[in-house]
Amino acid sequence: MAQANGNPARSADGGRTARPRRSVAVADHLIAAVPALWLAVFFLLPLAFTFVFSFGHSLFGGVELGFTLDNYRLALSGFYGATFLRTLRFAVTASALCLAVAFPAALFIARLSGRRKNVALLLILIPYFSSFLIRIMALTMLMARGGVVEWLLNGVGLHAGPLDLLDTQTAVFIGMVYAYLPIAIIPLVVVLDRIPRALVEASRDLGASRWRTFRHVTLPLTRPGIATAALLTAVPMLGELVIPRLLGGGRGLLMGQAISSQYLQSQNYPLGSAMAVLVLVAVGVLVAALARMTKGFVEVPR
Amino acid sequence: MSPPPVPESSRLANLLQGRATDRALALWYALVVVFLFAPILCALVYAFNLGIVGKQTSTFTGWTLQWFPAAWHDTSLRRAVGTSLVVSFWSALISVLVGTALGYALIRHPSPPVRRLLSAITYFLLIVPESVIGVSSLLFYAVTAIRLSSATLVAGITPVAIAVVALIVRARVLTLDRRVEEAAADLGSTRAKTLRFIVLPQMLPAILASAVMAYTFSFDNLVISTFLTTPRLNTLPVYLYGSLQYGPAPTVYAAASVVFLFTLAMLGVAFLLFRLTSRRPRGSAAL
Amino acid sequence: MTSMLNRRQTLGLFGAASGAALLGHVPRAFAAGGLNIYSWPNYFSSESLAAYRKKTGVTPAISTYDSDDTLFAKLNSPAGAGFDIVVPSSSWIEQLAAKGLLEELDHGRLDFGSLDPDLLDRDYDRGNKYSIPKDWGLLGVIYDPEGVGTEIRTWEDFFKAGEKPGVSGKVRLSDSGWETIGPALWLDGKDWNAAGEADIRKAGERLKSFARNVKSFTALDANAAANGSIVLAQCNQGTARAAIGLNPKLKWVVPGPTSELWVDNYAIAKGAPNLDQAYDFLSYQLRPEVQVSETEYIGFPAAIKGLRGKLGTDVKNVDLIFGGEGVDFSKLTSFVVNPKTIGIYLQVQSEIQAAAG
Repeated sequence: MAQANGNPARSADGGRTARPRRSVAVADHLIAAVPALWLAVFFLLPLAFTFVFSFGHSLFGGVELGFTLDNYRLALSGFYGATFLRTLRFAVTASALCLAVAFPAALFIARLSGRRKNVALLLILIPYFSSFLIRIMALTMLMARGGVVEWLLNGVGLHAGPLDLLDTQTAVFIGMVYAYLPIAIIPLVVVLDRIPRALVEASRDLGASRWRTFRHVTLPLTRPGIATAALLTAVPMLGELVIPRLLGGGRGLLMGQAISSQYLQSQNYPLGSAMAVLVLVAVGVLVAALARMTKGFVEVPR
Repeated sequence: MSPPPVPESSRLANLLQGRATDRALALWYALVVVFLFAPILCALVYAFNLGIVGKQTSTFTGWTLQWFPAAWHDTSLRRAVGTSLVVSFWSALISVLVGTALGYALIRHPSPPVRRLLSAITYFLLIVPESVIGVSSLLFYAVTAIRLSSATLVAGITPVAIAVVALIVRARVLTLDRRVEEAAADLGSTRAKTLRFIVLPQMLPAILASAVMAYTFSFDNLVISTFLTTPRLNTLPVYLYGSLQYGPAPTVYAAASVVFLFTLAMLGVAFLLFRLTSRRPRGSAAL
Repeated sequence: MTSMLNRRQTLGLFGAASGAALLGHVPRAFAAGGLNIYSWPNYFSSESLAAYRKKTGVTPAISTYDSDDTLFAKLNSPAGAGFDIVVPSSSWIEQLAAKGLLEELDHGRLDFGSLDPDLLDRDYDRGNKYSIPKDWGLLGVIYDPEGVGTEIRTWEDFFKAGEKPGVSGKVRLSDSGWETIGPALWLDGKDWNAAGEADIRKAGERLKSFARNVKSFTALDANAAANGSIVLAQCNQGTARAAIGLNPKLKWVVPGPTSELWVDNYAIAKGAPNLDQAYDFLSYQLRPEVQVSETEYIGFPAAIKGLRGKLGTDVKNVDLIFGGEGVDFSKLTSFVVNPKTIGIYLQVQSEIQAAAG
């Protein structure tokens, strides 16, 4: 990943006002149009159905189009409101844990040089070429009674007797960290990697301790990476279905399961759609707020 | 992980502490790798487990090789594996192309409204629960009378993978110095040339990393695939998830292990070919 | 990986893929010819499939689902067309038929005579207009007599035992609304197919207060029962057989006053592109030797008369395949999904699972 480059630390416009631009090139149009078109056709268009359906009447596996707010009323009832809050807490906790595990690893990888860095990153990625479900199923076997984890913890004296880890919140969080770790590590490495050594060394030369350098130089520069990692983990976690089911015994109900079961088990598309729309709105507001707060999503002039 | 603050001037302390920090980081990284590999090793070992009445058990009941031929003879499992490999290859390819463009445009598109619109779509992609994408896609194809096929399956999976690619690439673009591009333009380079020769090489590591993520996201997609499979098109996650209801057979462990090793081998070959064909002696993109 | 391809190739491939996707261009022959089955994974014996292939030259293509709900959603969408044989459970047959998603069976082309009459003409499909029983299972309880301390005969015993210290927190309930709420309804003397919203909610209250004892709502892992992390569980006889195979101390019972008999069925999807092939395959599946091979492979009993006597002598715990000795089908009930109440069952189940969190 050796990059010969000028001064990326003062990234972007370096705080000055952008100079008047040349006429927009065809390439720029193309670069924006291709993704916009693809996503419009394969994502936004189908999604429009969801929105329309959320105002319809359920026909058990079908929808009678119309305009009613009953679905929203039901979706906003106390039970699903509480479910949404529980889901939010769950995703934020899992994402924070995931980032906490990922950051030191990313820092280690980013500090390596050349070939070693690639190998270190590759080692993180290789496990993800194996099927996710199989790995989670294997994780249940490791954490089961009489499994390897129990044997290991007993061996080092951290635990005595049988270990009932499976079907607990702890197991779910372990699984969540496991599943989302590389998606947290990669954006962090990508950004950490771009922080020039010279800058860190300069800070040290000026007498700052390692900690102060980390705190005041490295961490702020990592902000876009942290924000990306947080977003890439927390938001999909809101819809997570499989891990809570396989590792947590399906106790406690999360929004992903609630919506999915409206669609499937009750065949109630309008209610499922209304719940989905509400989740979209709520998460949209939260993400926008988060973006404002961390300022990680805009090019921060510094 | 983070060491406590120390007196600023103490250089020696800094040095010692630095070494301790490095060691702690290395240890942490090692633990992470062990954590990530443990379930894979477990799955590999349990592909040889006898199980009980044809089902997998976490108690190791004895060694056997029978599940490998059994997995091969289970044509629906075999087909599912093949479909998964093909579909995720295409999905990853498309996602990388579209997602890289998106990730770049998110930051560098000259028009702020366009940037805002693209960001809105990208974040929107992440927020929408997969079951919603799945059901609405199924309804969409029903209404438009498009028959489900591998193309619709790929198209259905790509949006989420595109978002992942776009955000990783975007994080990289944020750290690139825009003035380099401007300098190139000032020196007479066309926009397309600048993108090709200045921007792309700088983004390559991020693109490759995101390609891996796009591939695994696609390969592991369960919820959307559930809705978009067809009589002749079934994917491995859909098969695996279904098998949980009646208890999975060790055959799925055998199949998954073989797929994993096969994928690694393919990656190795790809890497070697890349190294051989790469003109630069020290390929900057050797990820 | 992608970097191997040069740009022109990549663009070409990209164009091809997106073009195909946009036009939805699928060759017509895609679904016709051969035989398309939509089923649970690993639900047909590989041996009998191989023998069928040898006999006819046709390899059935089997796609899999994870629940009857998924099967319903897929068949219900015009985009999901192209399946020949599907394997719906007894609970969903009526709804599938009501939506016109199943082909009416031509009884002249199949040999129903060899099937167990107790499994025919049941209330989810009178006269077997749409379905042929494939295999069946029971809702029962597996428990560790030592851990639980008492014998379990009724669902009342089950609920009481679950409250006990040492058992509480090691209980498994089903993830399907009707299987968790059903037992409480039966104890109230109600029929789960006739119960109204008030009945279901009332029975649900009992489950909600019971929920704190529950450890898991997901498919029972035979190991968990065998190694004692679950000591009391609702499950089917197939999982019980696996668990008892690992730990012979465990006991299996079908509690009173009644319990569930579910039947998975062969059915033909409406507009099946390969109708003749489908009948041919079904006739093949109903042959005695195939029924025996299916039973031994999937561990659930096929529907043929006198199956018990035809099984190989080397099959372990044979009785358990049939849910133990003396199972009386007339005393058991099969759930039939009703659009009016299924949403309530689901809602209450969600509340129960949330209460356990």
